[in-house]
Formats: sequence, C-alpha cells, structure tokens
Amino acid sequence: MASPSAPRRLPAPLLAFPAWAWLLFFFVAPVGMVLWFSFGYKPGIFGTHANDVLSFDRYIEALSPTFFATFVNTLWVGLAGTALCLVIGGPVAYWMAVKAPMNRRGLLLALVMVPFWTNFLVRTIGWQVILAPEGWLSTLLQAVGLQEGPLELLYTRTAVLIGVVYNYLPLMILPLFVAFDRVGGSLREASKDLGANRIRTFTQVTVPLAQPGIVAGVLLVFIPLMGDYITATVLGGAKGNMIGQLVASQFQTAQNWALGSAMAVLLILVIALTVAAGALLLWLLTWPARSRRRLVLGDAS
Amino acid sequence: MTVLDDHANASASRAQSSTGAIELRGISKFYGDTAAVNDLSLDIAAGEFISLLGPSGCGKTTTLRMIAGFEHPDAGDIFISGQSVLGQPPYRRNVNTVFQAYALFPHMSIAENVAYGLQQKRTPKAEIRERVAEALDMVQMRRFADRKPTQLSGGQQQRIALARALVNRPAVLLLDEPLGALDRQLREEMQLELKLLQSRLGITFVFVTHDQGEALSMSDRIAIMRDGHIEQLADADTIYAAPATAYVAGFVGQQNFLTGTIVGDEPGATLLRSAHGLIRAAKIASGTPRLRVGAAAQAAVRPEFVQISARTGGAHAASTGADVGGADGSNRVAGTLIGVSHLGETMQYLVQLGGGNGTDTQSLLVRRPTPEAPRLAIGDDVWCSWSPDSVILFAADELPDSAHVEPPTLSPVLATPAPATPAPATPLEDHS
Repeated sequence: MASPSAPRRLPAPLLAFPAWAWLLFFFVAPVGMVLWFSFGYKPGIFGTHANDVLSFDRYIEALSPTFFATFVNTLWVGLAGTALCLVIGGPVAYWMAVKAPMNRRGLLLALVMVPFWTNFLVRTIGWQVILAPEGWLSTLLQAVGLQEGPLELLYTRTAVLIGVVYNYLPLMILPLFVAFDRVGGSLREASKDLGANRIRTFTQVTVPLAQPGIVAGVLLVFIPLMGDYITATVLGGAKGNMIGQLVASQFQTAQNWALGSAMAVLLILVIALTVAAGALLLWLLTWPARSRRRLVLGDAS
Repeated sequence: MTVLDDHANASASRAQSSTGAIELRGISKFYGDTAAVNDLSLDIAAGEFISLLGPSGCGKTTTLRMIAGFEHPDAGDIFISGQSVLGQPPYRRNVNTVFQAYALFPHMSIAENVAYGLQQKRTPKAEIRERVAEALDMVQMRRFADRKPTQLSGGQQQRIALARALVNRPAVLLLDEPLGALDRQLREEMQLELKLLQSRLGITFVFVTHDQGEALSMSDRIAIMRDGHIEQLADADTIYAAPATAYVAGFVGQQNFLTGTIVGDEPGATLLRSAHGLIRAAKIASGTPRLRVGAAAQAAVRPEFVQISARTGGAHAASTGADVGGADGSNRVAGTLIGVSHLGETMQYLVQLGGGNGTDTQSLLVRRPTPEAPRLAIGDDVWCSWSPDSVILFAADELPDSAHVEPPTLSPVLATPAPATPAPATPLEDHS
C-alpha cells in the first residue's frame, strides 16, 4: 500500500461480479442462442438447426392448432395450479406466521420443507402410484362407496394439476410465511383498536403489507409451473399436455432445435404477458378500494 | 393491598354512568401458573389522568391491554362508561390506544393513517378530511400529512400516533409507554403537551409507564403496581410524601433505607435502633401495621432531607446549623464521603456509613441544593443528620431490585488505604 491513510479499495459493484458473470454466461447467452435458433430452420434429417436463412416461419409453425391447444392447456394448469397453491398455502402460511405458538414455528417451517428432501421425480412417481386405477386411493374410494369402478384420474389434466400443486406448494408457503410474519402483531392490533374488524384488518392492513411476499410466492410458483414438463409427463402421460413437453420433444426426439426454440420463446412471451395482464387486472380491481382510502390534504393549513 | 383514597371512593358512584369512566372489578390474568394481574380493582373517574406505574413485569401493560380488549381477564369484570366490556373485541370498544412503538401503518400516508379509524366508522369523506386536518393541526403535524411514517422522526411519529387515536374522539385514551423511545428533552416536552391536551379534551387518559418522573409530572392519580396488584393508589404528593409501603417509597424517588429494631414508642415518635445509630421517626407508613417494641423495621429518609456537614474533631457540629439531629444523638450518623456528583440543580453526596470492621457497611445518599451545598472533598469525615419529620417507618420487607437499588459502597479492599488518598469518585446515576 502506497499510502496507509487512503487504502485502495475495489469498487463495491464487484461484489456482484460472480452473479453477473454466471447469469451472463449461463442465462443471457443461452436465451440469446435460443432466440437466434428460433429464426432458423431444421436443415435436414440429421441437422438440428441452421441459421443461413432467417424467418418467422417457425413461429407460424409453432402456433399451429395442436400447439395452440397445448398452450391453452398449459395456461389453464398454470393459472389453476397457482390459484390452488395460493388458496391452500395462504391460510397455512397465515396460521404459521400469526397464530401458531412462537416456539413451534421453526418446526412447522421444517415440515413444509420435508418434501424437498426427496427427489422431485420420485415424489411425482409416488403420485402415479397413488392415482393409478388399481392404486390405494382408488380402492379406498370404491370401498367407502364414493367411487364406482376404478379411479380414472391418472394421465388426465386433473392428475397434472394435483401433481403440480403438491410439488409447488412449499414455494408458495415460504414467501407467504415471511410476508405475514413481517406484518407484525402490533399493526394488526392498531387496526382493531381503530375499529376495524378481523376481515377489514386482513384486507386493509395484513394483505397490503404482505403484498410483496404474495407477489413473490405467485411468481415463484407460476413461472416454473408453466415450464414444468416432468410432472406433466409422469402424471399427464405422453400426450403432451403442457408446452414444456412439446419443447423437450422438439429438442430431444424430433431434433428440431429451431422449432423447439420458437416454442420456448413463445412460452417466455406467454408467461411475461400473463404476469403483466395479472398485474393490470389486480391494479384495476383494487382501484376502487385504493381511491376510497386515498386522502391527500395538501399544504394548506 | 389496594389502597383506595377518598377521591376514588367519591368518584365510584359517578363511574357507574358517566362516559369515560372505567371500573376494573377484581380482574386477574394468568399466563400458565403465573398471575400477570392478580385480583386487581381500580376505579377511574371520567376525565381523569391516571398512571399505572411499576417496573417491567408488574402487570401494568397487561392491565392496559385488558382495557383495550387485546387480552381478556380470566376473572373479574371491566366496565367502560358503565357498560361491561367482557368478551367485547377491541374494535367495538370506545377506547383508543397509543402504542409503545407507535404502530403506524407503513403503507399509508400520515393523513391516511389518521383517517383509518374514521373510515372504519364509514364517516363521510368531507368530514374525514376536516377532522384529520384538525387532528393534525392539534399535534402541529399538518405539513407532514402527505408523507409516509418512515420519513418521520420518533417524536413526530409519536404525535401522529396520538392524533390517529384522538381523531376518533374516544371515551378513553390508553397510552402504553408512549414516550419511552424519545430522548429526554423531547420526552419532557411531550409530557407537558400531553397533560395540556388531556385537560383541554377532558378524555380519560390511562398512562402506563415505568418512569416515575413521567407519572409524577402528569397524573391526577398514580397506581403503583407490584406483582399484578396495586400497591398504592394516590396523587403524586401523597405517593411522594407518604408512601404506603417501602416498595412505593423505594420506587418513587430516591430513598435511603436503614434497617433495625424498634426500641421505643414515645408520643409522636417511634425509635429505631439501627447499626449506625438511633433513628427517631415521626411517621409510620399507612400500609404498615402498628410496630411493637422489638419488631424488625426499616426507616426511610429521602436524600434531599439529609443535611451534611464536615466532622471535625470529636464533637458533632450542632453549632453550625447544618445539623438537625436530636439532642440525644438520634437521626445523626457519622460517615466518610466517597463520592460527589453534580446533578445540576442539586449536588449529590455518597456517604459510607460505619462498618470500621467491614460489617454493616452501607451508603447514604445526600442531596443538597447546589447554592447551599457544603464544599466537601472525597475522603472527608462527615455528619449526616435529618429531622424526625422526614423519616417514615415501614415494616421490614424484601424489596425487589426493580424497586430499589442500594447505593454502592466501597469494598473493604478499596477502603483500607489511608483516607488521605481520595478514593475514586463512584459515578452516581439517577437509577430511578
């Protein structure tokens, strides 16, 4: 060191360098390549992609009726799965963060994580066993008389929905728990003290303050769910219920990287547009409540 | 023991009907096996400023939370404005709270925070605007109306919390150590403002604090709490001058305690033999039963009633005028000055008494107004004396540390060197 009074320091943004480098090489570059391939074509039986002629033809091909039906299907599973995760995970997270005894919360959080101790694929195959027509669920339902004949659930969209809700539920509960936990008891007490009942306290104080966590949970579930193909393949059969399966089959089976890339790009666009539409819808729906609460006094005294 | 003074008895009948009166009738609250509040009864008159004062864990906050409705008593009944509120949720009670950490909603502006309570009652928007502006004017925070709570300082947030509660015009305002997080100057300023506000609005204030200064300066009456019950309920003058128990005496203000045995009972005076001399007391605390000769007891004398003078030669300095002890040598103790600290308007002396052989060593706190404080140096031999009128006798009682901390003494190791070398001045803090 030349001068002890002014130690030379590395610029602070360098702390983020490993992350930036990683994302650049393993995320931005591959996505760029996928985008590039999507404008190309499959040159022949043995080639996977070529880019000497650029066109939007793969996108037109990708929007064929079969692909479009899968799209709708994926969106349905994505939205319904996310909504179910929110409906099931929300109350649990609220109970864990607000009502459960303080000394049990660590244990409860650990229990939420328990499914992650087992491999994703193994857990999903477990559901295949449960939902099979000759599986124990089917036998049980028939025994108690709720079901006539074997359960015809496996390899349907409902089976996929059950599977994705199971697989992604912890990803919803954890951010929601943190969000509800951070609202703090004194703010809820203040709300009740000021005359708001439980429901109004929940809608006017707890939910608005937990909103960042709720958004995080929804995105954390919705985005990977839309691209999921393991659950769909194991529980939905090879019919190709979800886009993820189509993309995988284009890359792996059909060896048509150009078409697969176009489908992947379309998937990204659909996710982005759905999230944007959801945000807009939420903003519009809460607008009356916000305008009712809004109070600007201005500077006049 | 619950000591109801005349004021409370007089207001008890009025408390049945008038808006803002509170009656706590034998309420108890248990957490597991421990009683946070134990069979507590208290009548608060409408428009009264009452403080619940006590160390942490004495049950004062639990009592307040039961009035607010956040906790429900396991036994007893609570009446607000003459109506039982048992089982009533907080949002149905005509009571508002100023929380310890203010609990302002971070996602709302200041104006929206203040408007929250009015919106819950579906007040018309025009009226909300008017009353919010009025409430913010009242606490001089109007120009911050459109900011977020996080942009305000602690004192400003405190005012907003006050405005948010008062804008609802509650019958009772509950304050849970609202000044605890403020620095000293701001706290004293807010004490004055709170008191003025309360007398202007005529709302019943129930103020929870562990700070005796706060309670003494603002309250009409103070309830000193200990282990879930009220030890004494009286106005500030009575609490200070005639504490019912040694606990109250030790908790409010500074106190010197001298323990000993009763040796005499004369008309108008009781005599106590302590390790440091004979003590003549004119008063026995109201909470202490008759003290018989031979009973263990403790005498309490406040530092400001103790005179101090230099001890030169063998004779005591009765002629100097700084000695108010009795002719029989009572109420006069010899000691060595081990600490002097300047408290501003008063000088505080720490005097170590007796115990030449290391036993019965005790320190005495003395406070004299700065203009008439004698010039004494650490290591000086001194006389301390007081008049019988300033001594109160209490039955012997184990005092918790939270109520009274004995002033420090020099350890024998430190005290052995020649008194000529000044001992290090013990930093004395106002540990009340």
